[in-house]
Amino acid sequence: MPIRQLASFVSIFFLIATAAILLLINLDGSPVGIHRYSGGGWGIFSCLLLAASIGGVSLAMHYRTIRQIRGHLKSAAADLNLTRLDRGRGPLVPVIEALNEILDACDNAISRSRLQAKELEIQLKVATAERQHAEAIIYSISDGVLVTDPFDELVLANESAARTFNFELSQADRSPVDRVLQDPKMIELIKEMRQSNSRSGRRIVEHQVRTPLGERVFKITLSCVAEQASDPILRDGKPLPELGEHGAGVVVVLHDMTREKEVAEMKNDFVSNVSHELRTPLASIKAYVEMLIDGEAEDDRTRREFYEVIQGESNRLSRLIDNILNISRIESGLVKISKLPQSMSVILKDAIDVISPQARGKSIEIVEKLTPIFYQTIADRDMLYQAVLNLLGNAIKYTPENGTITVENTVDEAKKTVITRIIDTGVGIPPKDLPFVFDKFYRAEANNHMAKGTGLGLSLVKHIVETVHKGRIFVESSVGKGSCFGFELRLAD
Amino acid sequence: MPNNKTILVADDESHILSVVSMKLTNAGYTVFTAVDGQEALELATAQRPDLLITDYHMPQLSGLELCQRLRQNAATTGIPTIMLTARGYNLEPSDTEQNGIHRMLSKPFSPRQLLATVNEMLALPAAA
Repeated sequence: MPIRQLASFVSIFFLIATAAILLLINLDGSPVGIHRYSGGGWGIFSCLLLAASIGGVSLAMHYRTIRQIRGHLKSAAADLNLTRLDRGRGPLVPVIEALNEILDACDNAISRSRLQAKELEIQLKVATAERQHAEAIIYSISDGVLVTDPFDELVLANESAARTFNFELSQADRSPVDRVLQDPKMIELIKEMRQSNSRSGRRIVEHQVRTPLGERVFKITLSCVAEQASDPILRDGKPLPELGEHGAGVVVVLHDMTREKEVAEMKNDFVSNVSHELRTPLASIKAYVEMLIDGEAEDDRTRREFYEVIQGESNRLSRLIDNILNISRIESGLVKISKLPQSMSVILKDAIDVISPQARGKSIEIVEKLTPIFYQTIADRDMLYQAVLNLLGNAIKYTPENGTITVENTVDEAKKTVITRIIDTGVGIPPKDLPFVFDKFYRAEANNHMAKGTGLGLSLVKHIVETVHKGRIFVESSVGKGSCFGFELRLAD
Repeated sequence: MPNNKTILVADDESHILSVVSMKLTNAGYTVFTAVDGQEALELATAQRPDLLITDYHMPQLSGLELCQRLRQNAATTGIPTIMLTARGYNLEPSDTEQNGIHRMLSKPFSPRQLLATVNEMLALPAAA
């Protein structure tokens, strides 16, 4: 039964009852039965009935207002539309005012929450962007990066690390390191670091890794990720136990130092080779001078031989120093180049004249097949001369006694080029070494015993021909038969 | 003033070879020369010199390898040896001790000092 009807029914009932009782009292002053027991009791009873009936009537009258309040609150709860209630009139006004205060407070609280939510949303976007940015930086750096969590699972890795340890980046996320990495030593290092849980300390280890590109030496820097104690890490919504028990995550940075090591080794070899190369002619000069001073050379012919040795070795020393300086100048771009029309044949002739005594010492014959000198090329004379001397010097070094060295140049009028070839009957270069002979410090292992060298001569020749003169250098060789080193330069117009 | 001592000199640098042999010949020694380690080994075995002067970095057989081979052969094991090298820093003291190398002289060197060392090792009075 609706409340409203019940209230009307009850109030009408009480009204009629009250009226009837009052009527009885007024008609004869003492109603039968009731009056007999207590005269005041009827008065109180009737008063109560009257009050109840008035209450019922007023309840019925305010029902409308209450219903409105209820409807308003319901809709407010449903869509959080917290507008104030109509204050109206009557005894419900204080209630309505109190409700309005509550509504206002809720409305304020909701507005504040919305604002906070908005702010958090912006912060989240910024944080996401920052994280992506940081990840992009980590992915782009050439050093390998691995980050693990306190459970030794991979949380972050970059391309370089994936390449080094040969794993698929997309499949490695959140996988245990011992499943991702095939390197027991690396896994052990990560676990040790996590267990040591040193928040400030770093550990730097040199470690050799078998990568798909072969053995590489890495400088590995391990450090613990410092987590804030007040900011517990959540895992599946549950905070982790204190770091003290499980240790923090670990950041691993892998720096490939294979090349650096090679360069350091090369430099060391270079310095030791150069010093040896410098000492050898110097030793002859010093010894022969002392022999002359001590009067060991008894006749003029011997003395003259000694002077020639000293002169030859001095020249060798200065050629060597020139080589070292020139290569370093050309490489650093500091070299002064003066290009003028030159005849390749003249330069070749000059070089042959200088090197001939050395060839004669090994009974090597030098055969000249030179073009007429009027063919000219625009070149730096001193540099080309140096290049030819280096090639001739090598030919003598690697050709056994009684061999032959042919120096020839040919002109291709159609292509407007001049090609110089220095062909020896020497030991030749194994095919596996051939692509590297112009590399700095490279010396063919097989022929190392044949002669001493800095590994600089051919590198300088290549620089002079290609870097300085924009020409082309080439080599052909056959083990046991000999080598042909040559270069092609443009003829002057 | 010839003496009856023979010396084998091994060096791939012909100028060094001739200057050393001239200095020693002038001092009365009989000198054999070799241009690489292999030739030196053959000559040492055949001639049994009283002293060996060898370079370190040589074709075929290095000075060190030469000394090792000579030590292995009973006939040549006791030959006193001087190593004359520009690469002395490449050698550990143990290398020289174990291979019977008694003296190290570094290049550039003084022929005068070399001769004095040779005389001292062969227990002859210093040359005038």
